[in-house]
Amino acid sequence: MNCSRVRRWIPLYAGADLPIRKARRLEKHLGRCIDCGTELKELKAALASVRAIADQGILDWPEAEWKGLMARVKSEKPRPRPVSPLSAIPRKAWAYGLAIILVLGVATLILRRLLSPPAASLLSEIVTATPAQPSRSLKTVEALPVSDPRDVPFRVRRSRLEPLDRAMLAAGSAPEKTTQNLMSMILVSQETGLKVHWTFNRNFEWKEKKP
Amino acid sequence: MDEKETHLVELVLGGQTEAFEPLVTPYRRLLLTLAYRLCRNVEEAKEITQETLLRSFRYLGSFDRKRSFKNWLLQIEMNVWRSLGARAADEGTLRELAARNSTEDPGERFSGKEIHEKLLACLDGLSPREREVFLLRDIEGRSIKETAGVLRTSEISVRVHLSRARVKIRELVGERFPGLMEGGR
Repeated sequence: MNCSRVRRWIPLYAGADLPIRKARRLEKHLGRCIDCGTELKELKAALASVRAIADQGILDWPEAEWKGLMARVKSEKPRPRPVSPLSAIPRKAWAYGLAIILVLGVATLILRRLLSPPAASLLSEIVTATPAQPSRSLKTVEALPVSDPRDVPFRVRRSRLEPLDRAMLAAGSAPEKTTQNLMSMILVSQETGLKVHWTFNRNFEWKEKKP
Repeated sequence: MDEKETHLVELVLGGQTEAFEPLVTPYRRLLLTLAYRLCRNVEEAKEITQETLLRSFRYLGSFDRKRSFKNWLLQIEMNVWRSLGARAADEGTLRELAARNSTEDPGERFSGKEIHEKLLACLDGLSPREREVFLLRDIEGRSIKETAGVLRTSEISVRVHLSRARVKIRELVGERFPGLMEGGR
C-alpha cells in the first residue's frame, strides 16, 4: 500500500473515525513508514491544541441578559403541533403501503402478459393482378379487375370476403408473369377481421376514384 | 431525551411557559459558545443563540420526543447560523480577523488570550460546512452519525468534510504555531 493512498485516511484515523478494517491496514503501514507516522503525530497534535484551547473558551450569558431573553421567549406562544391526517400515519405504514402498490403493479403487468392472447399479427397477402398499361395514373377500368368494386370500402365483413380472398390468392400465384404492372395488397387482421385493400401500379401510384 | 426533559416539554406545551427556562438552561453555554465559534463575534453569537431559543420555543410542538433535545437545539442553531450568521461572519468579522492575523509575525510570542484567539482563528480557514462539521465532531464531541443528523446530511458527507477540515487545521496550526507541531513529533 502506497503513502498517497494511506494519507487520505490519516485525518479520519487521527480522530478515531476510520472504519476498523481500514484502520488496521493503516496501522500496518504506519509500522514501517516514518513519514506517515510523523504526519499522523502532527495532525493529532494540531487537533489536540485546538481542542484544548476551545475547552478553555466557554462563553456564558450575563445573568441579566439571560433573564431578559427568557422573558422575551416566554412572551411568545408556542405554535401548536401541526395536525394533519397524513402526518398521523406512521412512516412504516407509508412504506408498507407503497411496497404493496408496487408489488400489485408488477403482478398486474406479469399476469396481463401471461393471460392475454398473443398480439394479432397482420397477415399480409400480396395478390398479383392482371397487367395494366404502364401509365402514370391508372384508369378506373384498368384497376378494377383486381377485385370487386364492393371491396374498395375498407371495412368489409369477413364472411363476405372469404371466397373472394381465395380467388385473389389463387390469381396471385402466377410465377410466369414477369411484367407485373399492378399490385394489390390485402392486410387482414386475424383478431378483428378487418381487411384493407390497396392497389398500386408499378410506380406505386394510387388511383383516385372519379365520379 | 430523558424523562425530566420530556416532562418539561409537556409542561411548556401545556401552557406553563416558565418550564422552558429549566429546559434550556443546561444548554445556554453550549449554544452561545458554539455560535461564537461559528461566527467569531460575541454579539452575533448572542443574536444566533437568541433566535435559536425563540425558534425552539415556537416549534416545540413539532419536536419529536424520540430524538435528543440537545441535538434538536444544535440543529436549529445550525439553521439559524446559516440563515443569519454565515454571510455576515464571512463578509465582516472573519475577514477582518484574518487580515489582522496575516500581518503579524508568526514567530512572535503571544499571550494566553492571543493564542486562544489565534487558534480559534484557524477555523476561519475552513469553509462554512467544514467549520460546522469540525466544531460538532471535534470540539463538541458529537459522533459522526449525530453530526450528520444535526446538519441533515449523510455520514459520508460528514467524513469527507471532516477529513478536509482536519488537514486544513493541521496546515494552519503548522503555519501559525510551528512550536505546537514540533511538540507532536
